[in-house]
Formats: sequence, structure tokens, C-alpha cells
Amino acid sequence: MALAPWVVPKREFGGVGYLLTPFGAVNPQNLELPAMLGLGWVGAAFWVWVGLMLAASLTFLLPDPRSRSRALYALGALGVGLFALEAVLFYQAVNAANGAALAGGATRAPLRRFTLSLGAYLGFFYAVALLLLARLQLPGGKAFLVRFRGAVVPVVSLLLSVLVGALLILVLGRVPGVEGLTLSFREWAALELDLITFSFQLLFSPIYTFSGWFNSLQQTTPLIFAGLAVAFAFRTGLFNIGGPGQITLGAIFVMIVGIFMPGPGWIVLPLSILAAALGGALWGGLAGWLKARFGANEVVNTIMLNYIAASVLLFFLASNQQRFFGYTLYLPFKAQGFEAKSLELRPEAQIPLMINLLAPGGEFSWALPLALVAGLVAFFALRRADLGRRLLLTGGAAIVGYAVGGLIPGPAIAGNLIRDLAASKLNGSFLLAVGVLILVHYYLFCTVGGYEMRAAGFAPKAAEYAGINLGRKIVLAMLISGALAGLAATHYVQGGVMDEYRLKQSIPVGVGFDGIAVALMGQNTSLGVALAGFLFGVLRTGGLDLSQQLGISRELVTVIISLVVLAIALGGLLPRYFTDPLKAAQVETEAKDEEEARAKAQRAS
Amino acid sequence: MNEIFTLALLFSTLRQTAPILLTALGGLFSERSGVVNIGLEGMMLFGALAAAVVTQRLEVPFLVSDPNAQVWWVPWVGLLAGAVVGGLVALVHAIASIKYKADQIISGTAINLLALGAPSLVLEYYYDNSTSSQEVVNRLPLIPVGSENLSPLVFLAFLLVPAIWWVLFRTPWGLRLRAVGEHPEAAETMGVNVIRTRYTAVVMSGILAGIAGSYLSIGFLNQFVKGMSAGLGFIALAALIVGKWHPIGILGSTLLFGFASALSIQLTGRNILPVSVVQAIPFILTMLVLVGFIGRSRPPAAVGKPYDK
Repeated sequence: MALAPWVVPKREFGGVGYLLTPFGAVNPQNLELPAMLGLGWVGAAFWVWVGLMLAASLTFLLPDPRSRSRALYALGALGVGLFALEAVLFYQAVNAANGAALAGGATRAPLRRFTLSLGAYLGFFYAVALLLLARLQLPGGKAFLVRFRGAVVPVVSLLLSVLVGALLILVLGRVPGVEGLTLSFREWAALELDLITFSFQLLFSPIYTFSGWFNSLQQTTPLIFAGLAVAFAFRTGLFNIGGPGQITLGAIFVMIVGIFMPGPGWIVLPLSILAAALGGALWGGLAGWLKARFGANEVVNTIMLNYIAASVLLFFLASNQQRFFGYTLYLPFKAQGFEAKSLELRPEAQIPLMINLLAPGGEFSWALPLALVAGLVAFFALRRADLGRRLLLTGGAAIVGYAVGGLIPGPAIAGNLIRDLAASKLNGSFLLAVGVLILVHYYLFCTVGGYEMRAAGFAPKAAEYAGINLGRKIVLAMLISGALAGLAATHYVQGGVMDEYRLKQSIPVGVGFDGIAVALMGQNTSLGVALAGFLFGVLRTGGLDLSQQLGISRELVTVIISLVVLAIALGGLLPRYFTDPLKAAQVETEAKDEEEARAKAQRAS
Repeated sequence: MNEIFTLALLFSTLRQTAPILLTALGGLFSERSGVVNIGLEGMMLFGALAAAVVTQRLEVPFLVSDPNAQVWWVPWVGLLAGAVVGGLVALVHAIASIKYKADQIISGTAINLLALGAPSLVLEYYYDNSTSSQEVVNRLPLIPVGSENLSPLVFLAFLLVPAIWWVLFRTPWGLRLRAVGEHPEAAETMGVNVIRTRYTAVVMSGILAGIAGSYLSIGFLNQFVKGMSAGLGFIALAALIVGKWHPIGILGSTLLFGFASALSIQLTGRNILPVSVVQAIPFILTMLVLVGFIGRSRPPAAVGKPYDK
């Protein structure tokens, strides 16, 4: 904390900044600051934190855990408050200086890209850690953490990956604007720490803007499909690394249906989406069948199928004339020109952009929101009805809502929000992803078939004795898992994300691998997959800024995502009772026994 | 057809077999000790990257005066770097699967995923290019054999087969290694250090995969290209199964896959089959052979299971 920059009041594009540390400023490019900027408190704040840390260590001299916990809670709360105070002081000072300059006739604000920095953040994390430590002092503290292990393990794993990512930036990143300067150790340390902090600020920067959110959600869509595919397979005891191949096959099927299927949109669009699922299911199901029929390991086979799928894609897109032993086969898919891409999809097969769904022609449409509300109302109102009728009526209500909503005139809207939405490629397949997410959750946890599926994964022997046909379940599971991955193709091909409504050879099917990280990070739950998908969507969006501003390859994001996989495999380096359900149950039972014993003792006295 | 089946095809087969064979022999150590190593592909890639970058960095001072300067020891140091880096990456896998009892498939997959992204960071740092390294002048030397040339690593790969057979089946250490993979509790009772044996075996597998990767980048080609192993590590894994976890069997199965690769190279550009179909041949063959060999091939009994004392 002593070496780290605390605030960066000014930063140029490209990363050169004015860094303020507790022991003076580090300013390699001699950026000028307005004279009236009041940041003298940074040095003082550092000593306050030192005092707080001393106090926190002193609490361990307290003999009674309850009073120790109380003291730690107080110090933690104080720390969080201190961090908030720093933030308020900093932004007020910056805004005052900027306001004065603008009032004085400056054309643009003198301070740009100002942020708090590592030193301040560290204080905040320290305070949060104190609060956690306070909870741990109380009886049942360990069981409290273990109970939330579904969140603790991913969060700790993410922190570990970020830490390793920071080390990579330290080694492989270049501090901008210091060529030819001789630096003292303090300056060097501040600059390196700033580089790391700024890199991660860039990676997480999309969450501060509307356009960042839309772009992140757009990146989230395929991650949800891919993550669901892997999570579904995990739930049934299978490991599906075949996401890339399944997406490729889904994309090829979409292409064929989307280019050649005639008819109105309300037939062609659903059919082409089904085609994507079918293509993925074919590729996934093949691996499942090989496992069920021959016992061939699905891991090796799905990997092989990835490579074969890449060849199939090349076969369709490389050329329209393929020669077999002197005979020529004519194919109708590739568009003219050098680039390996297909003909354009018919307009009926294209999934509309979100902007056209929510506000066609600049006027807000009530159709989708009303359909959603009507569907939800029907779904919860019909709790008593049997499943088939419930779903049928829910769908009916949604359609009525959609039709009625389409007739109600909506207000015309304008502004940043709508402009940013229009600029993003966020499209209807995002809604499809959310719908599928809910559907999969429902299937796994609310139907007999889903229960059997999970049983086959959790305890295959027991499931078999209970009369479940394991082979059938394996094939079905891989069919569904492949179909989920295949649906990601709708996003790329029908959603126009690759700039055109075509299948291109450059379709980024590697997202199928990221699905492994999404599923692991999300602990194979629907909510977890959604959150992890969004997190990685943000990082992937932020990765663009990172390579533009700092020249660090955006592959850093891929590396962090893979490190998450490794960290979760390592159980976040946490004790075994966080990862082993049996040991976790043991910890919780012990805590409960302890609690009861104490309650009994209290009653007795 | 006759123009395809020539002496050139035989040499091409040997060249294509060498990296698969080296990697599969590495996998043999790891799996015989009871640790699944699906990360072989990634270890190959890291080895290839290290060999190419170290060789290129080392030769820079010599190229100042003469842009074609040949310095005999430079590629060998590169090879050493590839082997060491492969071993270090394997150490990560070993720590995850032995110490932390991680799911070995997931841990290996993580290494493969890392090998897709991490090289770009290094390449960006040294060469401002995220897909390939600068070409090296000092490749590994070639040994002339008749009208063709072979890399010394090709000889190494084939000589390792009897050597490893001897180590595994004729030395006490080999017996212990096999015991650890079949029944670690029994081995422990007899005084074998299960943990240490497994660490050694997994690191050995990484070293061999790293050498195979170095062969790709500074033996076969003269630079590192992103994803250059193109599934060879996975094919090696399949060769391990088809070869029944035995060095001689592995020699046979890798020769088969090497032949398929060589054939697909020979067929490319001859207008007999589309390139895309030709490229898929090794992978389709792998799947078919795997399905045919299931049931006839028995893995080490304790493979994939973490050892709990």
C-alpha cells in the first residue's frame, strides 16, 4: 500500500498517467495538474489505514472471541466508510478542478480518465477481509463459509486467476511512456502497480457504460449456450469438450436452412433455430452413442470431432467445386470472392437485433415486455394445473400479450441508451439464451427425466439399480448438450454478429472451450452459468480496450479464463471441506451440534 | 497412385510419427503411474514456444555480423528450454492432480486452454505479433540418410522405444511405477513412495511432450505458430490407448497415425480428394481405431484416481 498509487487524477489515452502515492507523485511524462486540485489527504489517509491495521492486529490480544469479533466488525465498517470517504473526496476535488477550468474558458476538462487506484482498492479489500474475519471469530464461522461454498470457491478461484494474470502483466507488460528514463525503485514499483491496476480497470470498464453493457451481453449470449452445454453434460457425469465442433455443425445447419428454406418468417426462423440445435445434437450425440455403444471415452472423441468439424466447415466454404478422384462435386454455398464465407441468409431467417425488437422505428414497443409479463403471470397463476396445460397456457398468454402489446402505441424514445443499443449487435438470440437457460433449469430440477439424468451423473450404479437405462441417458444427455452448444451458432450466423448474415470460416467457435470455464465457475447451476457468462462477457469486451490502449494482447482474457478452470480444478487452493460435499456436510453438522450443546448449556445455567 | 507410395512417403511417415511417438511415450509414463494426462497437447505447445523463442533470442547476437551465422549449440539450448518448460507445465498438472487431488481431466484441459492463449502474450511481448514467432536461422541439424534428411529427434524417438521398454519392464523403478498405477495402496505397503513416483512420471511426460513440441518448432519448421501441434497431443493420447499402454504397441499405433498424417500431406494438392477431407483423415482414423480397440485395451487400474493416503 505504501508503494501503490492511490489516485490517478489524470491519464492520457495509451495509459500514461499522473500517479499519486502516499509518498509523493510519480509523473514520468510531466503531465500538468490544475493548481487548485486538493489531493493532500492521500498521505494522511495512508497513515490512517496503518493505524487501522495496527488496531486490527491488536484485537487478537482480546481473549474473548465475541468481543474480538465485535472489534473487528467495527474496524471493518470503519474501513469501508474510510474508502467511501476517499472516493467522495477524490471525485469532489476532481470535479471542482474540472468545473473551475471549464468555467474559466477551457474547451475540454483538464482531468480525464481519473480514477481511484490500487492503494485505495487495497484498503477496501482489507476492510472486507476484516468483516469476514469478524464473522469467522463467532461460533459457526467456518460452517458459514462452507455453506456458501458454491460462491466461495468460484470467487476465490477468480481472485487467484486475477493474481496470476497480474503477475503476467508485470512480466510481459510494458509501462508506457518511460523509455529512456532512470527510475528509482519507488517510481518503478508505482508504475508497474499502476500498469496492473489500469489493465484490470480496462478489463472491467464495460460495466460503467450502457454500450459496455450491451456489448458484454452480446458476448454473453454464446457463453451462456456453451456454458449450459458443458454444465448439462457435467450434471450427467459427462465431460463435453466438443463445444467448438458442435457450434460448427450447428452453424452449417443454420446456413443450409437459412439460405435455401423458402417461406414466411414465422416458419423459417424457428426452423432455422431448430436446425442449429439439430446440427449440434448430431455431433454431440455421435460422441454419446460411441460411448454408450462401444464405451469409447467421450473426452477424446469430442476433441477429435472438433477437428473433423473444422474440416467439414472448410469443405463447405473453401470452394464450390470439390473434386473426388477426378469427379467434380458442385456445391451451392460459398459466396463469390476470396473470403471463405457463405451466401447471405434470407431475411426471414435472420434474428432481429434487440433494437428492432424493443423499439422498432424509434418507438418503444410494448409487445415483448407485455408478452413476458403475461407469460409470467399465467405461469405462476396456474401453479395447480398439470405441467402440460400450464406450459401450453403460459405460451398462449405470452402470444396474446405480444399481439396486444404490438397494437398499443408506445412512446417515441431517444437518448444515449437507445443510441448505444442501436450501435451494439445485441440481438434476439440473447432472449433465446435466457429462455433456454430457464428451460434447462426447469427440465433438470422439476421433471422426472431431469431427475433421472442427474441421478445417472451423480451415482450411476445406484441409478442403474433403480431402473434407469444408463446408455440411453448418455446418448440423450450428449444430444441435448450438443444441441445447446449448437444454438450458439444462431448468435453468430443469424444474429449478424460477424458483421454480415453469413457463415464465415472465421466463426469464433473457440467460445465452446470457454463454456468449460463458464460451467465450472457457475458450479453447473443456471444462475451461476448466467453470472459467469456475463463476467466473462465483460472481460472479453474489456479485452478490446486493453489491446487498443496498452498493447497487451487481448488473449490475456483467454489466459485468465483458462486459469479460472485450473484454479477451480485446484479447489481454489482452499481446504478440502470446501470441495468435498461429504466433508462439507461434516463441518456443517459439527457446527450445528456445537450450537445445540451451547444452547443446552445456556438453558442449564 | 504409384507416385504417392514412394520412399518419400516412408520418410514423411517417420517425420510425422516422431512427435506423436515422443508424446505418447511421455503419456505412457504418466498414465502407467495412474495420472491421466490430457494436457499433453498443451505441454507440446509450451515446449514448442519455449524452444522457438529461446533459440531466436540466443542467436540474435551472432546474426549481427553474419545474418546466416550457424552456431551449433544454440538450437540444442532451445531444445533444452522446450524440454524444461514442458516439464514445468507438467509439474503444474502434477501438483493439481497429486497434491490437490483435482479432477485430472479438468486440470489437463485447463493446461490445453492456457496453451491456446498464453503463447500470444509472449509473442506479443517479443515480436509484436500474436500468432507466430520470428523465424530462426539455427534449426536443429539434420542427419542425411540416403537421399533424405532426418532430424536427430526422429532417431531419439525410435530409440526411446526399446529404452523405455527396458526401464518399465526390466528395472525395479519400472516395476514400482507400474505398481503405483495398478494398486497404489499395495505399492505403498511395499515401501514405494507413491507420491514421488507419480510426480516423477508426470514431469517426465511433460519433458517428452516438450521435446516433441521443440521438434515441431525448431526441427520440423523454423518458427512457432499458434496452435501448431494441431491435435497431435490428443492423437498421441489415442495412440496410447490403441497401443495398450505398452511401448511396442505404442510404436505400432503411432506409426499408423504417422502414416495417416504423411498420407494426408502427400494427398494435399493432388486434386484427388478435397483438402478439407484429406485433413480430416488422421482424426477420423483415430476415432475408428479407438472404437475398434475398446475392450481389447485395458488401462492401468488406478488411472485417473487421486491417491488418498
